Amino acid sequence: MKDLSLTRLWGMRLLFALLIVTILFFHLLPLDTLPRRWAGPNWVLAFAFAWALRRPEFVPIWALAILFLLTDMLLQRPPGLWAALAVFACESLKQRARSLRDSGFASEWFTVCAMILGIVLAYRFALMITFSPLPSLGLMLFEMIATMLAYPAAVAMSYGLMGVRKAGPGDFDTLGGR
Amino acid sequence: MARERTNSSEYTAPLGRLLLSIVLLLLLGLFLVWRIDSPRVEKFRAQITDRFVPNLDWAMAPVTGAINLLRDFQSYQRMADQNRDLRSELRQMQAWKEAALQLEQENARLLDLNNVRLDPRLTYITGVVLADSGSPFRQSVLLNVGARDGLVEGWATMDGIGLVGRLSGVAENTARVLLLTDASSRIPAVIQPSGQRAIIAGDNTRNPPIDFLENSDQVRPGDRVVSSGDGGVFPPGLLIGEVAADPSGRLRVRLAADYERLEFLRVLRHHGTSFVSDVPQIIGPVLPKSEDGE
Repeated sequence: MKDLSLTRLWGMRLLFALLIVTILFFHLLPLDTLPRRWAGPNWVLAFAFAWALRRPEFVPIWALAILFLLTDMLLQRPPGLWAALAVFACESLKQRARSLRDSGFASEWFTVCAMILGIVLAYRFALMITFSPLPSLGLMLFEMIATMLAYPAAVAMSYGLMGVRKAGPGDFDTLGGR
Repeated sequence: MARERTNSSEYTAPLGRLLLSIVLLLLLGLFLVWRIDSPRVEKFRAQITDRFVPNLDWAMAPVTGAINLLRDFQSYQRMADQNRDLRSELRQMQAWKEAALQLEQENARLLDLNNVRLDPRLTYITGVVLADSGSPFRQSVLLNVGARDGLVEGWATMDGIGLVGRLSGVAENTARVLLLTDASSRIPAVIQPSGQRAIIAGDNTRNPPIDFLENSDQVRPGDRVVSSGDGGVFPPGLLIGEVAADPSGRLRVRLAADYERLEFLRVLRHHGTSFVSDVPQIIGPVLPKSEDGE
């Protein structure tokens, strides 16, 4: 039983990394070289939140840190800042996962939205106090709202396609070692 | 069972918190290092991109091709292909017009000089666009040529007609081109008939505004904007676009390069402009030294 759960654990970790790389791949396709007035949702963040709330053991902190840092590097953001905020948010969501497990999806969504808003505000504030070049506010708000709206879709995809469900009491494939 | 679990979490929670704070410190430290010594971290970033993106190229090219094909198909369905053909024809015509203008000027100069020699060092390397910046906040593309082809940071990049951007970040196999539309792009330029100097300052829109213009009365929409070569980074005389006024009356540049589809870009080799750095002196017969006979 233990072998099986270990394979599944590492398989799911690998799947998460693959998911992030796939998202990055589609970001990097040279399709739009004109400046846009809109911004798509931040899928990396939405999926990381969805997985952190459901199965924290599939997204360990080091994996999150490496993947977010890779995202920062490839998408030309100031390296480290967004990654740090996102890792922090994921970890605090993991802390709350147990209390959110029993309440419905609405309260989970609300918590996630508040978290996204917090990250965006902290990101802008940190850029401001270090006198770094600020990204345009309109685009950032657009991206933030799109991410909030995309979160249920990310949850549905993780649930339906990748089988990331909340661990129930009868589950054997968690690392809890029942 | 429940007690056991709380016990174990009592032991693991401080460890987790320690790990979290170490990770956060490392990440924020990297950000601060970037803020203090940006070129070094940007070089590191270029190396990471250099490792990562070319590996995806085998998949990227076909997917991009397929999506573009699909888009073309949709546009075919929506409107007559005539429109597209006409547009491409118009583009060609613009290219010809540009060529004709340049030829006219060159001809005039040749007639004047009759002994012209073009700069033999201004050659170019053509690269293929591998990837774009990946986020709507930055405007840049990644080329499949890099330091191994002798590229140097700061060189100008053009498509067939106009200036596209300049190299910022050169790794071994790839190089990033900062487009003129990026919010951090600043290019010194001259507006042609009047000779006014200005800076083309990108602001993340299609048509970058013209900044630091001395006298905007002498500039009219439709004037040609070319690079001025000030600062010695760029070769002078590369076409950027033409002046246009936006509804609020601000002067902007309608870029000559076709930003809609950047596929192949030319990187111009440029080995710096040589400057005349002589002390001003009077040329003439050597005067006898005035002896202090006063």
